Amino acid sequence: MTPRIELPQGTLDLLILKTLALEPQHGWAISERVQQISSDVLRLQQGSLYPALHRLERRGWVKARWGTSENNRRAKYYELTAAGRKQLEAEESAWRKLAAAVAQILETA
Amino acid sequence: MMRDLAIRLRSLFRRGAVEAEMDDELRFHLERQTDKYVAAGLPREEAARRARIELGGLEQVREQYRDARGVRFLESLLQDAGFGLRLLRKPPGFTMVALLTLGLGVGANTAIFTLVRTTLFRSLPVRASNRLVVIWVNNLEQGWSRIGPAGQDYLDWKQQSTSFEDLLLFEHGSGTVTGNGEPEQVAGLRVTTNFGTFLGVTPVLGRTFTLDEANGRHNYAVLAYRYWQRRFASDPSVVGRGLTLNGDAYTIIGVLPPELNALWAVDVVVPFDNDWLKRVDSDLGVFGRLKRGVKLDQASSEMNVIAKRIAGERPSRRGFGTVLVPLETVRVEFIRPALLLLLGAVAFVLLIACANVANLMLARADARRREIAVRTALGAGRTRLLRQYLTESVLLGLLGGATGIVLALWCTYLFARFVPAQIPVPNAADQVILPVVRLDAASLMFAVLISLLATIMFGTVPAFVSLRCRVNDALKESGRGTLSGPRGNRVRSALVIVESALAFVLVIGAGLMIQSFSNLVGANPGFHSDRLLTMRIKLPDDAKNSPYKEPRQRAAAFQAFLSHVEAVLGIEAAAFAEIVPLSQDDMDMGYFVIKEAPRLAPGEHFSADYRDVTPQYFRTLGIPLLRGRAFTDHDSMENPRVVIIDEALAQRYFPNQDPIGMHLQIPEAGRPDREIVGVAGAVHDVSIQQEPRPTIYFPYLQSPDQTMSLVVRTGLPPESVLPAIKNAIWAVDPNQPIFNVRSMDEILSGVTSAHRVALLALSAFALLALMLAAIGIYGVTSYVVTQRTQEIGIRRALGAHPSDVMQLVVGQGLRLVLAGVAAGLAASFALTRLMSALLFGVRSTDPKTFAAAAAVLSVVALAACFVPACRATRLDPMVALRHE
Repeated sequence: MTPRIELPQGTLDLLILKTLALEPQHGWAISERVQQISSDVLRLQQGSLYPALHRLERRGWVKARWGTSENNRRAKYYELTAAGRKQLEAEESAWRKLAAAVAQILETA
Repeated sequence: MMRDLAIRLRSLFRRGAVEAEMDDELRFHLERQTDKYVAAGLPREEAARRARIELGGLEQVREQYRDARGVRFLESLLQDAGFGLRLLRKPPGFTMVALLTLGLGVGANTAIFTLVRTTLFRSLPVRASNRLVVIWVNNLEQGWSRIGPAGQDYLDWKQQSTSFEDLLLFEHGSGTVTGNGEPEQVAGLRVTTNFGTFLGVTPVLGRTFTLDEANGRHNYAVLAYRYWQRRFASDPSVVGRGLTLNGDAYTIIGVLPPELNALWAVDVVVPFDNDWLKRVDSDLGVFGRLKRGVKLDQASSEMNVIAKRIAGERPSRRGFGTVLVPLETVRVEFIRPALLLLLGAVAFVLLIACANVANLMLARADARRREIAVRTALGAGRTRLLRQYLTESVLLGLLGGATGIVLALWCTYLFARFVPAQIPVPNAADQVILPVVRLDAASLMFAVLISLLATIMFGTVPAFVSLRCRVNDALKESGRGTLSGPRGNRVRSALVIVESALAFVLVIGAGLMIQSFSNLVGANPGFHSDRLLTMRIKLPDDAKNSPYKEPRQRAAAFQAFLSHVEAVLGIEAAAFAEIVPLSQDDMDMGYFVIKEAPRLAPGEHFSADYRDVTPQYFRTLGIPLLRGRAFTDHDSMENPRVVIIDEALAQRYFPNQDPIGMHLQIPEAGRPDREIVGVAGAVHDVSIQQEPRPTIYFPYLQSPDQTMSLVVRTGLPPESVLPAIKNAIWAVDPNQPIFNVRSMDEILSGVTSAHRVALLALSAFALLALMLAAIGIYGVTSYVVTQRTQEIGIRRALGAHPSDVMQLVVGQGLRLVLAGVAAGLAASFALTRLMSALLFGVRSTDPKTFAAAAAVLSVVALAACFVPACRATRLDPMVALRHE
């Protein structure tokens, strides 16, 4: 089993937004998805997911509605708004720039 | 943004729903996670445990979740408030006393603030009212501080002055309206035709006068709102209709707005024309509107230069100057000192209330010392605790404020009942019309503001004192020692000293007012005021077909009235006089010279008040005749002219001489000499405070007037003989209006009303202050007794007598009060000076009053200390020693 690493500060919002870009999801599915896609390398503190979702909702980047889950239960689904999509693009490009810059420094220095 | 707000508001107000949703969401997560592990082969319990661990502690997540809602601060504030409310409910005694104390303080302040605001700071309903000034002439040699100018003065001022945008001249008068129901006496105002533009008044109906209507006589009348309502039932088609005023036909051209009644309480306004202006004599009113940027003293000095110039041109104006006073000041200057005094006094009451509540809070903080210590030990932050304290104080303050508003409402009801709506202004033949006092938005704002201010005063001190206490000491100390040690006691004692000092000042103020008022009421006005009834009668002699054109006809009419009135059952004496003492009806004064005295320079003369009276006047009013004789029915036109002078005139102009038999001359053409036949006692005509002015009495039959006051002394209650008196007059002339019916008691109470209001309110405040101070002293003394229970026990065990204990406790309380008295004494010397304008016959530093106030406060303090002291003496030494 690969050792998991803690999520860097400030990246949780980005990951949530990215996950929601594909389709509306409920909270549990978001955490599963992040772990799956990152091949279990990233350890998502599940508890911090929900306050983060709430923050995003307050900023108007996601909106929430109650729906029925795949196992027929009442679940709260989050979906990206137009503003959320813009925010995702901005954060994504910022992140790529940062990652590239850090990688460059690590390789050359 | 909007979305954010919507979510926050929802979290705040739909808290239950939001929490439930949060729980649903988290539960769903745990279920799915658990299902996942169960599917992977873990037993259900183990699966559930792992799910919870991974989530990271349900309770923490929920707290984080709540933080993310962004209403954390408000929530904890609500918590504090809820906690505070529960605390306030717990010891109801504390809360009741604190709320009542605060409520009294805030309520009294709000009520007085409202009274002062509506009275003193009310702007008049006219254009640029803050630039309007009243212009009088004065003559200091003659002792005339303010008299109305003549028409010629107005014309000169208007022509020569540059300080004013415009000047308005007006004259009060009365007239008889006929042809519209029964004949009626109306209050009239004659004004220059710039009336409407000068005041910026928009009529309710029609128009006011135009400037060019001053050229030539126009019988136009503008109705006052109240008269239009009363006599024309607010008829909207009144403009253009006719009005018969003093027998002349007038055309109604407009109706004034109701607000103007605050300035002139009249019924009908008619114009002056230019010719008339030149003729009208003294005692008119002039308002000036200062040009923008012109200061009052600039205008005053310009007017004095003009007055000198006029004196050079017109000898009759020699020695005269002018007096300018802002209109808004004039209207309230008479009551202003009383109101400002009350404002100061009531602020003191609030301070005392604050000190008291602070003391209560300190005592309670003591009781809660353990609670605070435990909370501190458990990690409650200092700021969090301070916030808790302040939230509680604010809560108390606001509840106190609410109590105060209720009390203020009640106070304004009391004002409405007991404060007269009109207060006569001495020397001005006028009245201040007090506005209706109502609590408005500004009053409520004020109440909230001072409640919060009070909160800061009474809330912060105990909070800081109790937070200074060390946790360890508090926890270690046995149950009931001191919370704050010497510091807390010092604060407490200081509060009691301040309270006593403030109460002392108020008691002195009230004492001075009481003494002054009793001097005022007890003062001899120069006549017997009991059982006198007065009313005014004006013969409609200016009507065209009046039967009273000739002086002889007027004399005959009044004589007929008098003989009929004297025949009424229960009448002891009756007389007519031009003016009744203290009634503030129009003044009549004039010049005289003494025939037998050295000649004065030409144009120079003495002056005195004139009074036309019927023979029985002196007997009816009980004015003593010091020398000579009273008038008789023989002092008529056919017989030699005679006068009676009063004591004031005799002393001033005939010192060490017998004036009887000497002659006065009235310096106007064609007036014969008048022999002095008597000297009457001096009468306080204007106000009781003012020295009587020299007065000349003329026999009515020798100068019959048109308007007279009937004065009747009755053996029966005045109200019961009034119908018979009216009928007696109507038996002579059924169309004769009778107006201004007042008993002398009413007139007197009007004259003393400003003093009475000040006295009542100040006494109430002083009483309140005493009560609050007593509560404060009681509280501190009983606290000290509790605190020193052990010590007292030891003393008793060692053989101290109960009286020693009594001395110990009472002495401790009295020391504080005496310190307060000393501080209050110093303050009083400075402060009571400010009320000297209201005092009559007593100095503002009257030692007797000061001593009495100190005695009163000491007695109250003694009584307040006595109860806890008694409790201390009854302590069983054994119980006390074991007391923790």
